[in-house]
Amino acid sequence: MSRSKALQYYIATRFLLAPLMLWTITTVVFLLLRATPGDPADAILGSHAPESAKAALREQLGLSLPLWQQYLNYMGSLLRLDLGSSLTSRGQGVWEVIGQYFPATVELAVCSMTIAVVVGVAMGTLSASRPGTFLDAGGRLFGIITYSLPMFWVGMVLQLVFSVQLGWFPSANRFPPNLPAPTHITGLYTIDSLLGGNLSQFFATLHHLALPSLTLGILLSGIFERIVRVNLKQTLRADYVEAARARGISENKILVSHALKNALIPVITVLGLTFASLLGGAILTEVTFSWPGLANRLYEAISLRDYPTVQGVLVFFAAIVVLASILIDILNAYVDPRIKY
Amino acid sequence: MMNWFPVSQWRKFTKYLSLFSVCLFLVISCTSRPQTTASTTATAGDGRVTVGTTQKPRTLDPADAYELASLGLVYNMSDRLYAYPPGTTEVKPQLATALPKVSADGLTYTIPLRQGVVFHDDTSFNAKAMEFSLERFLKNGGKPSFLLTDVVDSVKATGDYELTIKLKKQFAAFPSLLAFSGTCAVSPKAYELGAGKFKPNIFVGTGPYKLVSFGPDSLKFDVFDKYWGEKPVNKGINLQIQSSPANLYNAFRTNSIDVAYLSLQPDQIRSLDDSAKKGDWQSISAQGSVTSYMVLNRNQKPLDKLEVRQAIASMLDRPLINQRVLYDQATALYSMIPTTFNVALPVFKDKYGDGNVDKAKQLLTTAGFSKANPAKVEIWYPSSSPTRAGAAQTLKAYATQKMDGILEFDVKVVDGATFFKDITKGTYPAAMLDWYPDFLDPDNYVQPFLSCSKGSEAKGCEDGGSQSQGSFYYSDRMNQLIDQQRKEQNPEARKKIFADIQTIFANDVPYIPLWQNKDYVFAQKGVNGVQLDPTQNLIYRTIKK
Repeated sequence: MSRSKALQYYIATRFLLAPLMLWTITTVVFLLLRATPGDPADAILGSHAPESAKAALREQLGLSLPLWQQYLNYMGSLLRLDLGSSLTSRGQGVWEVIGQYFPATVELAVCSMTIAVVVGVAMGTLSASRPGTFLDAGGRLFGIITYSLPMFWVGMVLQLVFSVQLGWFPSANRFPPNLPAPTHITGLYTIDSLLGGNLSQFFATLHHLALPSLTLGILLSGIFERIVRVNLKQTLRADYVEAARARGISENKILVSHALKNALIPVITVLGLTFASLLGGAILTEVTFSWPGLANRLYEAISLRDYPTVQGVLVFFAAIVVLASILIDILNAYVDPRIKY
Repeated sequence: MMNWFPVSQWRKFTKYLSLFSVCLFLVISCTSRPQTTASTTATAGDGRVTVGTTQKPRTLDPADAYELASLGLVYNMSDRLYAYPPGTTEVKPQLATALPKVSADGLTYTIPLRQGVVFHDDTSFNAKAMEFSLERFLKNGGKPSFLLTDVVDSVKATGDYELTIKLKKQFAAFPSLLAFSGTCAVSPKAYELGAGKFKPNIFVGTGPYKLVSFGPDSLKFDVFDKYWGEKPVNKGINLQIQSSPANLYNAFRTNSIDVAYLSLQPDQIRSLDDSAKKGDWQSISAQGSVTSYMVLNRNQKPLDKLEVRQAIASMLDRPLINQRVLYDQATALYSMIPTTFNVALPVFKDKYGDGNVDKAKQLLTTAGFSKANPAKVEIWYPSSSPTRAGAAQTLKAYATQKMDGILEFDVKVVDGATFFKDITKGTYPAAMLDWYPDFLDPDNYVQPFLSCSKGSEAKGCEDGGSQSQGSFYYSDRMNQLIDQQRKEQNPEARKKIFADIQTIFANDVPYIPLWQNKDYVFAQKGVNGVQLDPTQNLIYRTIKK
């Protein structure tokens, strides 16, 4: 089979397997939620409500049906892309919840990922280019520390130092309460404020974005630092690099123009894998910084046993991760001709 | 490979850089700077006040709002038929023009209504609109609907500005129930009648503020310029929601918010209160209406023995708990009815005192317990409360230290959802809980705890108030007294009934009252008029900066 045919076959297979992956995830989420203690009727009506009212509500929500029937109903709705309505904020659909909260998560995720890639690649490159030096040791230490530090702890320390003590950044939230929020166009405040031509809103947004995205970004950068360092070190030992040195090309040019390009290919793979960590980390970061994103909303829904919201948001996150990993795999397949299918 | 910088110099450089960074970090972290000014301060001089809270409203629909977060906002945007003026527990007319006229049988309440009131959407308020609002509260099946469905038979507009409410049974505290924020007037044009038909993201009422925006972490309220009553002294309110007490604490300290209210931890309150005494900001405290108590399940051993329950009540030292766990931010409570009401009697203080370990030992010995055969009691609490955790651990340590091994406590924690589901099944022998009143009347501190609709002295309560609270207490006499006080319209006669209820309660010990909260609000310098109403709501309209 030719490479392009093999690639097409690979892409088709990946897309065909995606629904299977999503089905597995949704089933696990459905079962896990039913296995956790707590009753949504209690969460909705409160523990003081009469038992008859709770029973009527369970009936109305279909929670008194056998588990298999609840499962079939749920899967049926999912096939129609109907995620249901929030149990706690009654009258609000889960898609509405996603639409309201997701832009904040996207904004945080994009900024954090940018910081993670820039810092990680820079640290990895510096580290690999000076093997055996303190810079190399520092880079390795940075990778290990950022990989192992708890996200919420780092967030709280940054809040304490840069917000409470130094007063450089706001301690939490997405936007100052005393300014009018940017007019909703995309839901991304940075973009909306620029589209609206309001620079004070733009800088206020960046000001609020700084600490949460630094927390998440720096902690994720360790992954990139390690992968870049290892790959760049191997690449710098390759024959073509030696040949370039023999031709008298400067070390900086070899590093930037030749070695780094090749060493960055695995970063694309890691980018896909890190996407899931990013969304996981977003929950802790959003809660730590009162960031009004979807991950924070998910945390609230879990504590309130809001089944439809938890299921809907998790399926949505899962779909994004699955889609992102497929796209990354396809991108990888295109940029790295050595990959076989 | 080219070496840009000799290794020895790198080593020196890195050493000094690391040392400098560590020193800088430590200095910055440890420096006491109680009031720094972030570039986005709340003091923007536009006449609007920024309030910070951790209480995120689940809904703004008054027919479904039952939590403090939602009710506090509904309270500020709405008017009810009756309301509590700040500092009192006496209801006064708000949308009504007088207290209700009650029929001779105590079942029909006729209420005259205010004229010239308009809703935020310019719809006129009248008896039909009030009928719609109460019908909606009753029929849409929201979280607090049981408050009215249990007592109200029908609501009718019997004139343009007259409302008649018929009750299923007599209920002397009914006007207090009509002061509940959820029973406010809402525009018939903006809302629908029907089970489950809620609008969580809007509010259209008659109150001094109207909702401008409801975002995921902030809400904005503007002054309603057609408000019939006294206008707010500020230009509007920005409410900023924090996801944790730590963030609220930091937001206040960095001047990002003007007012911080609900919910800070006791140690944060102590820290802010200390700084307030130095003049960094203002601390405003008021006696709250939330009570904390311990449930004792009479269907579990050894709590089935009256002497054991009485022994725990005797050995408990409320001032110690208040000092150690709550940093004196509460008031010791000696009855289920808080001191806010003039019917409250310190029955537990009179009968058992505090830290009365000799009496406790004597009672336990009478019940057949000894050092060799100690009374072992498990104390459970829902995991969300560090205060309850501290109180339970203090109680355990106190018993270990003072009770000579005759009484042993085992403290256990469980997640809130499981706890509230299982407590009605009698799973927990003893538990620590808080009570947030639905309406301000002593009845609301008695009936949900001590009444029982089905049960016997032998089996305990099988269905009703005490079963749902996990004590399974049953007393025919208590049920009769609760019914009597609900029917009694004469305040003095009602007070006597409450005295009898409290005396029986102190003797039977199905619960042990622990403390009554104090509410703390912190406001920046230059912010005036910060007040709380007796139902824990922060009154927005009086805040000025």
